[in-house]
Order: sequence, then structure tokens, then C-alpha cells
Amino acid sequence: MNPTPQPPARSVPCQTFCVESDCSFPAVRESARLVREWLNQWRIDDSETTAWELALVEAANNAVEYAAGPARLKPVRIEILLGELHVEARVFDHTAGFDLPTEVDLPDEETEGGRGIFLIKSLTDSSEYLRGPEGNVLRLRRPRLQPSEPLPLDHTADLEIKLADAERALSEMSEELASSYESLVAMFRYSAELGSHANLAEFAQRLVTDLLQLTESDVLILRIRSDDKLNPFLAHPADLTARLSSLSLSHPPTSVEVDAARNRENVWFGTNHPPEPTDPLSGIGPIGMGLVHPFRFGDRCLGTITVIRTLRETPLSSAQVNILQTLGDFLAIQITNSRLLDERTRSRITRHELEIAANIQRSLLPVSLPSPPPFEISASCTNAGEVGGDFYDVLHIGNSGLLFVIADVMGKGVPAALFAAVVRTAIRSVPGLFTDPAALLSSINYTLCDDLARVDMFVTAKIVYLDLRNQVLASASAGHCPLLVWRPGLAEAVVIDNAGLPLGIEPDTRYSLSLTPLPKGSVALLHTDGISELRDPQGNMFGTDRLRSLLPSLSPGLLAFDQINQRVFADLDAFRARVAPTDDQTFIVIRNAS
Amino acid sequence: MKITHTDTNNLKVSALTEITAANAAQIRDAIRAALQPAHQVLDLDLSTVTFLDSSGLGVLVALHKTLRSRGGQVRLHNPTPNVLQVLELTRLHRIFDIVT
Repeated sequence: MNPTPQPPARSVPCQTFCVESDCSFPAVRESARLVREWLNQWRIDDSETTAWELALVEAANNAVEYAAGPARLKPVRIEILLGELHVEARVFDHTAGFDLPTEVDLPDEETEGGRGIFLIKSLTDSSEYLRGPEGNVLRLRRPRLQPSEPLPLDHTADLEIKLADAERALSEMSEELASSYESLVAMFRYSAELGSHANLAEFAQRLVTDLLQLTESDVLILRIRSDDKLNPFLAHPADLTARLSSLSLSHPPTSVEVDAARNRENVWFGTNHPPEPTDPLSGIGPIGMGLVHPFRFGDRCLGTITVIRTLRETPLSSAQVNILQTLGDFLAIQITNSRLLDERTRSRITRHELEIAANIQRSLLPVSLPSPPPFEISASCTNAGEVGGDFYDVLHIGNSGLLFVIADVMGKGVPAALFAAVVRTAIRSVPGLFTDPAALLSSINYTLCDDLARVDMFVTAKIVYLDLRNQVLASASAGHCPLLVWRPGLAEAVVIDNAGLPLGIEPDTRYSLSLTPLPKGSVALLHTDGISELRDPQGNMFGTDRLRSLLPSLSPGLLAFDQINQRVFADLDAFRARVAPTDDQTFIVIRNAS
Repeated sequence: MKITHTDTNNLKVSALTEITAANAAQIRDAIRAALQPAHQVLDLDLSTVTFLDSSGLGVLVALHKTLRSRGGQVRLHNPTPNVLQVLELTRLHRIFDIVT
């Protein structure tokens, strides 16, 4: 208890009285009693002093009841200004503040609480509640019932009180404005920088520097959350960053930073509420006062900002807490922007990879197709969305034959395209086996098997050699779709299916050879499963049977050579309706147009 | 504070000087603890109470509800002018039987 009669701000005949007490109900009750005794000394009417005693107890009780954390360590101060016509009281608190209502209704008679503000308003002439950076003040005033003699007060004194009040209010406002101005400048700057700063580290460094200054703190720790960990990102002093380790949000030991992040609430700590010995903060040096602010984007906590005053126990003012929260919000936006930017970059890289794969795949396809009379060759390879592993190749072997290759490498993207290139090169590297597709498949399977197995890939392929002179197709298959051949007189195409393991499964696989005549007017079709497994809106597959029925319509007698691809796609498109194909569609049509 | 069992139905509380936020909870709890099932009337002697704040009013309302729930009542005896003024200001004088 510290009652101190204070001299007036100016040498004027007004009286002031000030008393400070601990933040407890008995202590503030005693303060109100001292005020009453002081007023009694000045011969204030007993009914007035009684009213003041009760009004001050109610006001001070609120200051005690709603003080939280370090604010409970700060005194409750009551000031009295005794003028000729009025008595004014100021009760200072360090609570979060409240909105003083203009009118207060009495609670229901059965309600036990809620009459304090009613009593204050009823017992005083005017009241106002002001919030300030270092605390709040409830200003109460009531007229004096009868000026007492021989108090040496006159009307001038009352005016002087008002003047002193105005000067004090002005000074507080200037101080708050200066503090707010710095905060506003920082906020405008961060607002302008949002989105333009790709470098999160640089943004965070500036934020740390500004927050240290604006919150008048000595230590600052910025942690950014990743999954269930709070990882140290930046700290001041700089060497502190390396000394900090990650904190788990789901496993002990707990800490004030983890508590703040879990509960998404500010957590105060300091001399009277020190961190636990297991808390990393307990090892960083002296702590007078500290506050952990968890910053969020939406409902998700993105990290924590911890500010510490090493020697001073004075808590942050409400304005400083506000700026900490506001800059925390800016940081949350910047982190979210940065993460979105990373995702966009990754997406761009993926797109670029797909372009590379598409270029590789395009480069594998023949620039032009040979058509040694009487044979006509038409082919197509279209990608479905992502780049797949389909490719085909057609080689003219001297004047005696044509070699057809159609293959599907398992997988998509760059790896599939690269293996398609490898397979194509491997086939071209053994010209001695071109006339024997089965031996050719066995050879390249043996060559590539280890490489394919190492990356857990395989390739289906069909190789067909067309003997131009004898008009015969020699075919072999490595797990690929069957060769379909239609000859005039048949209702539909026949299926030439040589069962065989895909390339890359078993190095010693022996493939079988089939010989099929391709006489005048015949049509042969090589295709990938993107054609036969095409789906309609009901999920039905196009299937081999529909392809077999399609082949007669591609015969030289019915369809012009340059209409072949168009006709195939017309059938496929009609079947799938508007369902987008999910796989590459590749086919080769061979006609004997003699 | 003095608590007396005047007869099987009455409990009397006297020698109170102040009922404020500083002691409200203790006073309320002590009186409730002393109340026995047979007690129908709680006589509060307020003649020595010089100061009553809103927390003190809360104690009176709480005890009033306790007694009423058992079909009884709280009687306030000889409240001092200050206390009576607070009761009247908050209109709680209407729910108590005030005996002068």
C-alpha cells in the first residue's frame, strides 16, 4: 500500500490523492477506505464519501478480477482530484479492457453477479473508459454536493484540473500516436511487399528486425511449422538459431511455444511464470518477460513468434501485442504465398519434363512412311494427356521387305519415353535379324532385360516383317496386342496371336514366329491397347472384335488410302462418345492394294 | 462472523462487518455449510455491516436462492443506512424480508 498525496501539476489550489495497491481484492478494498478517509479530511459530505468508496471498490474489483498473467503483478492505482465543484477519480487497470456501456440495466433479481457497473454508473455523474498502450483507465466524476469551507478552492481550480487533464490526455495520445505511426508504417510496407517477395528468408529477417524494435524486445525466435514440428527458422541474436532444435507438437517434452501452437493462443511467461526446466527457452538466458504468439492462416497454425525482454519484466503494451499479431498475419500470408509458389514451380518443372518426353517420343516416330507398291502403309500415334510409352517404327529393308515395330513401354513421362528410344535403337542395331522377328525379339530382350528389370519396367512389342516378294507377314509378339489380318472373302479379320512374355521379364525368353499371307486386297492392323481398351461412357471396352469388324471397311476396294486414319478415328470417336481416352492410341495399317 | 442455531428451524448469522469481494465466497460457503436440512429461516443480522459491495449482494442473492429452494427465506435484520441504500439502489430490497 502506497498512499502518496501528490502535488498538483501546476501551482493551483486543487487537491490530489493517489494510492497504489497490490492487485488483490483485500488490497483494493483498503485503498478505497483510504480514499474515503482522505475525502473526509476535506469535509466532503458523508453521503458523497460513501458513494465514492463503493464506486471505487467496484471499479478496483474489476481491475483485479480481469487482470491476467503478468498483469496481476502490476499495482492497481487510484487517483483522486478534488475540485471545487467536482470530484474525479481515475482507476488504472492492466486488463484486456472492456467496452463501458452507456446505459446499464439491472440484472434479473435471481442473478448473483452483474451489478458492479450498474452501481458505478448510478453512483457517479459521468464515466468513461480509456484504453492506452500501458494500461487502461476508468475515469469517474460526480459533483460535490456542497463546497466545504474553508477549502481554498475556487472555480479557477476546477478549470485547472480540466486543463491538467487535457494536457495529460494529449500527452498519452501523442505517445500512442507515435507508437501507432511506427506500426502503421511497418504494416503499409509489409502490405506493399506481400506477394512480391519470393524470398521468405529475407522477408522474415526484416520482420524480425522490425518486431524487435516495435515490441522493445531483446530476443526473438521465429519457428515455422512443418507437419507436427515447430522448426527454428530465424532468431535474434543470430547465433541462437543454431542452438535451437525442432519441437514436436505431438510428443513431450512440452514447452510454452508448443502450448501456444497447440491452443492457438498467446502464452505469456516471465520471472513469475518461468518456462519449465525441460523447456528449450529456459536455457537461452535471463527472461524478464516473454510472449509466444502463434500465427495462423485460416485455422491452421503456421508457426510461432516468441519475443523476450531479458531484464525488464514489463509486459508488452496492448498496442505492441497488436502489432505482433498483425505482422504475424503478414508472415502467415507470405509463408502461404511462398508454399504456393513452390508448388507452382514444381508443377512447371513437371510440365517441362512432359514436354521433353513428348519431344523424345515424337523424334522416335518415322518422318515418312515407305509405301513400296503394291503395299500401302498408314500409321498414327496420338498421346492421351500425359506422355506415354507408345511408339512405332517402319523400316524399309532393301527391296525385299518392310519391318514394322509397335511397342508400349510401361509407365509414362520421361522414363517411358527414354526406354522407348532405347528399345527402338536396340532393334535397329541388329539388322541381321530383321527377317526373323522372333529371333529379333529374343535378342533385344536378352540385351535389355537387366536394364529394364533394374528400374522395374517392361515393354510389350510386336515385330512384323513383310516379305514383299512372297506377300507374307512374319510376326512375333512380346506380350503385345494381336496382329489382325483381313483377307477378301472373310467376314472379319483373323487374329494372329503369338503369346510371349513382355520384354524385360525373363532374359532367356524364346519368341515364336507366325507366318500369315497378305494377298491382294488384304488389310493388316497392328495396334496398342490404347485402341482395343478404349472405353465408352458406360465403361465398355472397344475390344478386339470391333477391330476385326472394322478391318473390311479399310480394304483398298472400299476406302482411299489417305482416308484410312480418318476412318479408324471416326469409329473410335463414335464409340467413346465424349469420354477422353486414357491411354495413347497407336496403330499401323498395312494394305495390299495390287 | 458468528453463526447461531436459534432453534431447529432458524439459523442466525451476526457480527459481520463487511461483505465484499474480499470475503464474499468465504461467507457464503460458511453459511451454506452451517445450514441444516431443518433450517427454514436464515436470519442475517446486518446491524454491524458497514460496507456491502456487488459481490456482497451476490452472496445475499445466492443464500436467498438456497433457502427458497427448500421453501424457506432469508430475513435481513436492521441493515445500516449504507447497506439499505445499496439494496434499494439495486432493487433487491424487494426480494428480502427486511426486519427493522
